[in-house]
Amino acid sequence: MLQALKSLRWAQPLRALSTSTAGTQPIVSPKTPAPEPDKLYSKLEIELRGIDPAVLKSYTWFATTAADHLGIEKGKCWSPRKAHHERMTLLKSVHIYKKHRVQYEVRTHFRYMNFHKLTGSTLDTFLEYIERNLPEGVALQASKTELQQIPEHLRQPPEQV
Amino acid sequence: MSTGLTRVWERLPLKKQAAQSGIRVFSQQQPEIEDEEEFRVLNLRTVKQQFQRRREVRRDPVTPPRTNRMAVDQDWTAAWPAPRSFHPASVPLPLRQGFTERGAAAPSKFANAELMKIPNFLHLTPPAIRQQCEAIKKFCSPWPKGLETEAKWQRHFPVEVITTDYLQSLPTIRNLEARRVTISLKLSDLKFDAHARDKFLRLVGDRYNKDTDTVTFVTDRCPLRKQNYDYAMYLLTACYHESFVTEPWEASKSEADMEVYLFERNQSKIAAEGILNWSAKEGDNKISPPPAYAQCVEQLINEGENEYNLAKYKEEVKKMLNV
Amino acid sequence: MNFLKKLVPQVALAEAQLLSRSSIHTSAVCCRVQSGRYRITTKRNRPLTYEMANPPHFIGHRKSWNSWNTSTLEDGLRPSQTAIEDVFIRKFMTGTWHALVCSEVIIKRQHNTIRIAALIRQAITPRKMYFLIGYTEELLSYWMQCPVTLELQTVGDKNDVIFKYI
Repeated sequence: MLQALKSLRWAQPLRALSTSTAGTQPIVSPKTPAPEPDKLYSKLEIELRGIDPAVLKSYTWFATTAADHLGIEKGKCWSPRKAHHERMTLLKSVHIYKKHRVQYEVRTHFRYMNFHKLTGSTLDTFLEYIERNLPEGVALQASKTELQQIPEHLRQPPEQV
Repeated sequence: MSTGLTRVWERLPLKKQAAQSGIRVFSQQQPEIEDEEEFRVLNLRTVKQQFQRRREVRRDPVTPPRTNRMAVDQDWTAAWPAPRSFHPASVPLPLRQGFTERGAAAPSKFANAELMKIPNFLHLTPPAIRQQCEAIKKFCSPWPKGLETEAKWQRHFPVEVITTDYLQSLPTIRNLEARRVTISLKLSDLKFDAHARDKFLRLVGDRYNKDTDTVTFVTDRCPLRKQNYDYAMYLLTACYHESFVTEPWEASKSEADMEVYLFERNQSKIAAEGILNWSAKEGDNKISPPPAYAQCVEQLINEGENEYNLAKYKEEVKKMLNV
Repeated sequence: MNFLKKLVPQVALAEAQLLSRSSIHTSAVCCRVQSGRYRITTKRNRPLTYEMANPPHFIGHRKSWNSWNTSTLEDGLRPSQTAIEDVFIRKFMTGTWHALVCSEVIIKRQHNTIRIAALIRQAITPRKMYFLIGYTEELLSYWMQCPVTLELQTVGDKNDVIFKYI
């Protein structure tokens, strides 16, 4: 186990790159930042939403190819067979003729990708790269599962309470 | 074959030029004849001259598409480095796009708005992806050895923190949903005594999943992710420490308040001890009933009377009494 | 002039009535089954572009969307603002490139940038065109508070974009 912990590479100062990720990241101070152990992520789940399934498919191909080149373990990539339809039914006429309606709909296609076993620096690099190349009209949602040790104060039962 | 073709291509414009120059020579001669024959009109009323020459609109020559000058083995990543709407003069592919009636050819790539609409991946060709990945590979680090399987990494890193990033095409990068933090861990990774475990489960309530033995905290009440993470860790710590506190009124728990039957604090223990120490004198070590018997009695009462429990109870009683 | 004085209250009343009735149609039903569909002329000489030749129910099948953004998707943020901005960009583009835009104005939103694509007629000199590109990008990026890029394609003649005559 000690070996495993030693083989964890120290986090590289990559934080400056992560501008497009929504969230709060600690800012590394310019004067010799204390080496901080790299984070571990067991899973990265990416959900894509778009109006055109073909664009999503091309993008998935791009992301999985990039993962192959970077040596990231791929998980299941799938998409639901049917799109989500949001329908609006209105009267065709201004206010009478109730039997005649017109229907508008907005379709949202989904696509999911899973990646496993990423270190913090790998995840930041990979996510940054694929987010920068996100085509227009596609929304991306990345769920990251971070692994952490049990905090010091929870390892032993409290001696006095 | 190819050289022959190029020769033909070269010859064609040359011929055209020659033809044009011939016409030009001819047209230069003509105006002189016209000038001689022009009849001067007596202009009594100052009428605007009818034969006013229309002003020629001077047009700048349109350069031919860039694709004509592209080499076959050019570096495409340099020609199309970044995302951009489709431009026919930069893409040397005979593309066509659009629906037509049967038999007709689809509209070509020039002046085709459909091709401009669809997001293209021309900047993400396989060589481009490989090239870019090689450039950014130095920022990656391999997964540490010794943590290959889930069982292994869960032994050392039992706490899972799930956060979500959102990316949309908006002028703002903030998304309210991004503040949500989920923390989950197995209950078996925390050290408890019986009382603390019971109290902890009561404190966390339905955040404990009995089937997977995990406790999950989802926090979203603070505006920032960091604050929510801190709050979730605080909740976990507070629950853990609080579960070791024994309140004074807990000692007054009567038999009627018990949720489960405990052999230790019941009449059956006294009865069993009475039987075992039947002939014992004062001051002798009391023989207590064996733990296997205690367990089977608890099982019999907590789980109800079934064939297995009853048979086991019979066995244990026989064993205890040496029958 | 006295007769005008008599008229003043009536005019004021009429104006008030006109203002109280909204002159803009906001109901969605008003642009119902006729929008984006064109009638056949007797002489069969009405020019249509590919965009006009396919009615709106073919969007996503035969023709594609003119606005690409994530606001219309499920759980998309600020859909109304995006729609209003798109309308404004279209008006500004057609007004600035007056009688030059041959197709619909395509608006693509990627991250925080807006990319505008259109087909432009080669009727003005390249110098003027470059000026207009800079002018449009500068003003739009000031108003939208985000980078705006123009990705234009030029056509030699108006008839190049015509798909069929009906």
